[in-house]
Amino acid sequence: MNIKEKLTILADSAKYDASCSSSGSKRQSNFGNTSISGICHSFASDGRCISLLKILLTNICIFDCKYCINRRSNNVKRAIFTPEEICDITINFYKRNYIEGLFLSSGIIKSPDYTMELLIKTVELLRNKYHFGGYIHAKAIPGVSEILLKKLGSLVDRLSANVELPTSSSLKLLAPNKEINKVEKIMDYVKENRNKSFVPAGQSTQMIIGATQETDLDIMQKSANLYEKYNLKRVFYSAYIPVNQDALLPSLKMPPLKRENRLYQADWLLRYYHFKVTDILDAQNPNFNIMVDPKASWALKHLEEFPKEINSCSYYDLLKIPGIGVTSAKRIIASRKYFKLSFADLKKMGVVLKRAGYFITCNHEFLIKKEFLQKKFIEANLVLEEERPSYHNIEQLSLF
Amino acid sequence: MQNVYIYNDTFESLLNLCEILLKNKIKPFNIKTINYQASLFENTIKLDINNDVDIIKKFVNILGVSNFKIIYYVFLANENNKEIIIYYYLLNYFKYRDRINKMRNLKCVSEALRISSKVSRENHRFKGFTRFKELKNHVLYAEINPDNDILELLAWHFTKRLANENFIIKDINRDIMVIYDKKNIQLFSSEDVNFNELMLSTDEDFFQNLWQVFYQTIGIKERKNLKCRRNFMPKKYWQCILEVRNEL
Repeated sequence: MNIKEKLTILADSAKYDASCSSSGSKRQSNFGNTSISGICHSFASDGRCISLLKILLTNICIFDCKYCINRRSNNVKRAIFTPEEICDITINFYKRNYIEGLFLSSGIIKSPDYTMELLIKTVELLRNKYHFGGYIHAKAIPGVSEILLKKLGSLVDRLSANVELPTSSSLKLLAPNKEINKVEKIMDYVKENRNKSFVPAGQSTQMIIGATQETDLDIMQKSANLYEKYNLKRVFYSAYIPVNQDALLPSLKMPPLKRENRLYQADWLLRYYHFKVTDILDAQNPNFNIMVDPKASWALKHLEEFPKEINSCSYYDLLKIPGIGVTSAKRIIASRKYFKLSFADLKKMGVVLKRAGYFITCNHEFLIKKEFLQKKFIEANLVLEEERPSYHNIEQLSLF
Repeated sequence: MQNVYIYNDTFESLLNLCEILLKNKIKPFNIKTINYQASLFENTIKLDINNDVDIIKKFVNILGVSNFKIIYYVFLANENNKEIIIYYYLLNYFKYRDRINKMRNLKCVSEALRISSKVSRENHRFKGFTRFKELKNHVLYAEINPDNDILELLAWHFTKRLANENFIIKDINRDIMVIYDKKNIQLFSSEDVNFNELMLSTDEDFFQNLWQVFYQTIGIKERKNLKCRRNFMPKKYWQCILEVRNEL
């Protein structure tokens, strides 16, 4: 099998991993460096960023996870890269500036330790023989011995182990060979040992959305728990795409992309906007409103807290306003000490007035007539604002 | 008559002019480069300036590195009134000092910040979008088509990243190029460089092809979203991006 065929198979089976970030690390060598903010090199036809050469070392796997294209029982073409082959592609892609580095994952061949040794051999070659200073994200294989984890962690920028499903009952159902405590053991080890020469860019994980019955509340609670317990940099959400036929799997026409989008928005609220899971979801409303983003829907439920006066409310209050993000909130705080902000100033600072306008006053003036500020009116406008049809989607309406 | 002051295209010359105008409390109607075509109501003035060679250092000392960077980035922008924005930014700097970037109610400040972050964003984009080809002599060669004059900024990024490689980057919109020889970078006008036909290295075709295979494979069909892709990777750049060039 030639390199091109191998790459086709092993990129195709790696593409379902959502993570592609290359941020959080500062590395410098004669051949390659990393950028603290990360760099996107291209965007695929699905709109997702391509930053790293995302491949599997092999798609041979001893596990039989129901949702996975590479499960043992699937009759798919199998391939395996040699460490030298991976180095050659990485170096040549990097030199031409196609990529920011390598994201190396793998099916489990023979045993977790055996697989990890192959991953280590590859990364070791890159770092020590080719003196490669670009970004490397590697998957840690659950069940691996600590000594190998230590070795791999000292060579890469980021490590990740996927929890895949939010509850252990789902995991038992769909991924009978996978044990959550083995994933957590990796996370715990990385958290305890992380420093500037061991996994400097931190760890991340991924959950599949929509393959099992969990609510958004279950998922967000799991995320919050992971962020708190293991100091994760990111939890990625991956809308379930049916690649296998199985009685235990739901049959979906379309992957639940909007739901995935809402989960990411909520994830940001947790990490940057000082929201708690219980602020945005509860047992009565365990799922996000698909029509309105989580922050706007929180605001609609708490209209009594609005309007907020831009020139005097606190930073935390600013963050609660739809249409105001972390950057614009900081700009408002910095500027309002020196002059009174007007609506025009807000616009220049990046505030989205089409959203924020319903929730704020500037010098006690409203942007929209106060009488209009009823829940139904605001909600309808926010929904329309998000769903603004693009020109391509407008269909000619027929009179008959 | 409205007085338009003329400088000779370089950043140094603009700073020298601004210094004189500020010192003499002259408020120009506009500031333009040499080949500016004045309108009926405008009067162009070219001052006799003793160019101070250390003018950059001088302004870095006055403004501090981060504010200096803002006006330098504005200068690199492809914007009509950038010179007068720089002038008013400087004028207000002497009034507000460290508070300057918080005074976003002043048009010159909000515009300077907007333009400079636009340039910085385009520079960041090209850190990703630049595609090198390997030539026979192992020199890496890339062509880019940015809106703003980011060539030098971009070159600095690659001197750190590819410190041990020789590379050439050409801005095809401005017909200028930068050459790095593992030590220094130098800027040239394309006319000054004699370029025979580019001889590609023997591997080049293979890796270009391999990259396109990877690019085609990595997109998930069920999630196809071309609009989202265009948002992140505007079509105006595709001409120089290997993997999407053939979709134009």
